[in-house]
Amino acid sequence: MTVVDLGLAAQFLFALAAVVAALASPTAYRSRLAGTLSAGIGVSGAVAGAGALGGTTATWTLAHPLGPAIGPLAPLTLAPDRLGGFFLLVVGLVGTIASVFGIGYAHGAAASRTGWTAYPLFLLGMQLVPAAGDVLTFLGGWELMALASTVLVLSDHAHRPRVRSAGIWYAVMTHLSFALLALGFAVLTSVAGSTRFADIAGMPVGESTSGVAFVLLTLGFVTKAGLVPVHVWLPRAHPEAPSHVSAVMSAAMVKMGVYGVLLTVTRLLPDAARWWGLALLALALPSALYGILQASVASDLKRLLAYSTTENVGLILTAVSVSMLTRHTGTADVSQIALVAALLLVASHAAFKTVLFLAAGAILAATGERDLDRMGGLAGGMPVTAAAFGVAALGAAALPVTSGFVAEWVLLQSLIHGDVRTDRLTTALLPAIVAVVALTAGLALLTFVKAFGIAFLARPRSEGAAAAHEVSFAMRGALVAGAAGVLALGLLPGLTSSGALAALTSGVSSRGAVGAVVAQPVGLGGIELPTLGALLDPTSLLILGLILTVPIVAISWRLALGIPRRAVDLQWGCGGVRVSPRMQYTATSFAEPLVRVFGDTLRPTQQLEVERAKESRFVVVGATYKQRVGDVIEDRVYRPVARLLGRIGDKARTVQNGSIHRYLAFSFAALVALLVVVVR
Amino acid sequence: MLWPQAAAPESAAMAQALALTTGLLLLTAVLQLWRRSLSGSTSLLAIQGAALAGLVITVAIAEGAPELFAVALLVLALKAAIIPMLLHRTALKTGGTLETSHRVHPTAGLLWAALLTTVAFLAARPLVSASPGPLTKVAPVGLALVLLGFLVLLTRHQAVSQLVGFVILDNGIATVAFLTSGGVPLIVEIGVMIDVLFVVVILRVLASQMRSVFGATDLDDLTELRD
Repeated sequence: MTVVDLGLAAQFLFALAAVVAALASPTAYRSRLAGTLSAGIGVSGAVAGAGALGGTTATWTLAHPLGPAIGPLAPLTLAPDRLGGFFLLVVGLVGTIASVFGIGYAHGAAASRTGWTAYPLFLLGMQLVPAAGDVLTFLGGWELMALASTVLVLSDHAHRPRVRSAGIWYAVMTHLSFALLALGFAVLTSVAGSTRFADIAGMPVGESTSGVAFVLLTLGFVTKAGLVPVHVWLPRAHPEAPSHVSAVMSAAMVKMGVYGVLLTVTRLLPDAARWWGLALLALALPSALYGILQASVASDLKRLLAYSTTENVGLILTAVSVSMLTRHTGTADVSQIALVAALLLVASHAAFKTVLFLAAGAILAATGERDLDRMGGLAGGMPVTAAAFGVAALGAAALPVTSGFVAEWVLLQSLIHGDVRTDRLTTALLPAIVAVVALTAGLALLTFVKAFGIAFLARPRSEGAAAAHEVSFAMRGALVAGAAGVLALGLLPGLTSSGALAALTSGVSSRGAVGAVVAQPVGLGGIELPTLGALLDPTSLLILGLILTVPIVAISWRLALGIPRRAVDLQWGCGGVRVSPRMQYTATSFAEPLVRVFGDTLRPTQQLEVERAKESRFVVVGATYKQRVGDVIEDRVYRPVARLLGRIGDKARTVQNGSIHRYLAFSFAALVALLVVVVR
Repeated sequence: MLWPQAAAPESAAMAQALALTTGLLLLTAVLQLWRRSLSGSTSLLAIQGAALAGLVITVAIAEGAPELFAVALLVLALKAAIIPMLLHRTALKTGGTLETSHRVHPTAGLLWAALLTTVAFLAARPLVSASPGPLTKVAPVGLALVLLGFLVLLTRHQAVSQLVGFVILDNGIATVAFLTSGGVPLIVEIGVMIDVLFVVVILRVLASQMRSVFGATDLDDLTELRD
């Protein structure tokens, strides 16, 4: 019995126990019991994932429960490979932290029986996906994940009508994703004659067939991953779900989409045609830009984080597509490094996005506010949350000593060195990608300066914000653990990158694409990319920086003590003495320049209503100004399509006049027509 | 062997019996389209049930399957006696003794019946050619019964007539089953028949409900079957 077996078995047992606890325990203990057991699911998944990543194999074959009854169905298998192990580890850790947070956070509908029953099933489904060894298990886990998360998104539907609309958007998109995946896998299994991934991977598939399968599978997976233009569910479902659920959805569930893409292009269909990389890039790069642009102008904190997820997934899949492109130009090591970058981005995003969403939940619990424009000054009341959010925001803005920095550094290395001047298109594309990645990094910095600054600094903008107090022990613990993860990934990238490299050995490189070690740990947990001659050792740099700056700071402080304090006071206030919170920057005003600059893309709608006095139209009584930045793609693509479908549906209702005879006539006509067709 | 070889399906007596029972089945179904009175309709249904039971006995002798006699008894009890009687009583209780408004004129109905029977025989050609034999040769009658039962469902308004159409449809399905595969297993057969009985009972209740709400059992009064 290996550690992987143990983890896989334990996650089922914990899930069962958590469901039983959720159903049977009294309300007072429900969150504590079910949350702790759910954390157990996460830990078991992480253990199994670490084992699988380390190369331990385990194959579980579950006899198909309906096998004899409905014909020759393949057995269900759980066989996590190294890549699956990597994702299992990430998902397990995210699930653990979010569950611990949920113990303190869940209240109201989220702490109901339904809520705590769906949550462990959601975690279990998500951990079955990367562990699956065949198509049916994969799709089964996928659907469990989708259904349970839909229930969780809808948990607060009784109190807020917006939740219902978010639930519908989410359900529609998630089932679109499932349908595409089922079709794509059907194409592959019909060619391979087997549902096992191992059989499909070894099967030579014709070019056109693999192209069709690639398009279907990729579309299905990126719908889950939240790329533009199928991202519309993200900014709705993430904000409306309970925060510990949004953390898992954003940090772990969308990664299943990434895992699916990697599974497709590195394992199932490794002989990619060149246009595949270009097609994926055409989806991923605009997503990165559009996502961060929307995030930078959002004032709802959770909506901001949701759009930032679209950006990050865009970056991750950009790295994957760069890997696919450079594989064709003969620079196999660059291709491999781009994949390492993708996995580092996955780990990094999982870490900081968990903390950010949980911190948003903590703010929501403490102040009742989700709107940045009504926050402010929270650092005083909630120092731990502020510190954790700050660290995670550094990670999201890809600044040094955090995970995001290392990941983007590796991505840029692969982009800069990928240019070999043998392939004109790639040569032209890579610098353009560098430019876009740089732009997203800049906008991300602006976005998270806004998020942190407006929420935690300055004066409170609402009564709720003024009354904020630190959250419960479990919630703080989860936040601190997550923030520590962000820092650890940033300070010890060598460890993560060797893990990422190990994850890739089950994919392309096992086919002999790469000989040299492309990334290795160096120094104090640093990372070295030997084939590119690049090296980054954040811990050493940090220590060096401290050695240099600490004496200087100490000396200057000592010297400054000798200088008498100078008191600065306002002589003439000119109205500035009476400082009101309304005079501060808000999230909206901070982002206003961006709305102007990118007005063509964001298409904000403005509405100015001036109310004039009855006596004279030159006397203005009051004015209201409204600005709304909607989602262009939603407004221009989805709404017209939905309207058209609605109109067709309305027309079709004339067929349904309520007479039973007419309905019978329909089936009778269908029957006779069928008979006639069959006879012919 | 309990059953002598003399009773082979090829024998003239067998052929006669088959022709008689299936002919009776078809004739009773076609006449349903022509009759207006509900009591006549239920008596035709009883005759059809008896014909079906006769068909089952014929098949039982031809196939040498003694358990089919039990099925035949069941059919006789249920379809020739209990269900027609229930329907007759419903017709009396709900007051509608006459199918008032024919959607299709009786003569046109007979033409439709001819057309549908042709379609059924044409559609069943692959079935007949797959396993030629005296039993499968008459199997299209079952298909024709299904279509005619459907036609009754479509053209009649009274709740009782609807039930009659439904039972004809079920008789058609049973006919096909007996003629092509020598009948389904007994347990399935019992299940199906009890199902039919339940449907009839439930619809009887529904019909009296309709009667108390609308004062009639005309299905055209039910126009709320939409959202």
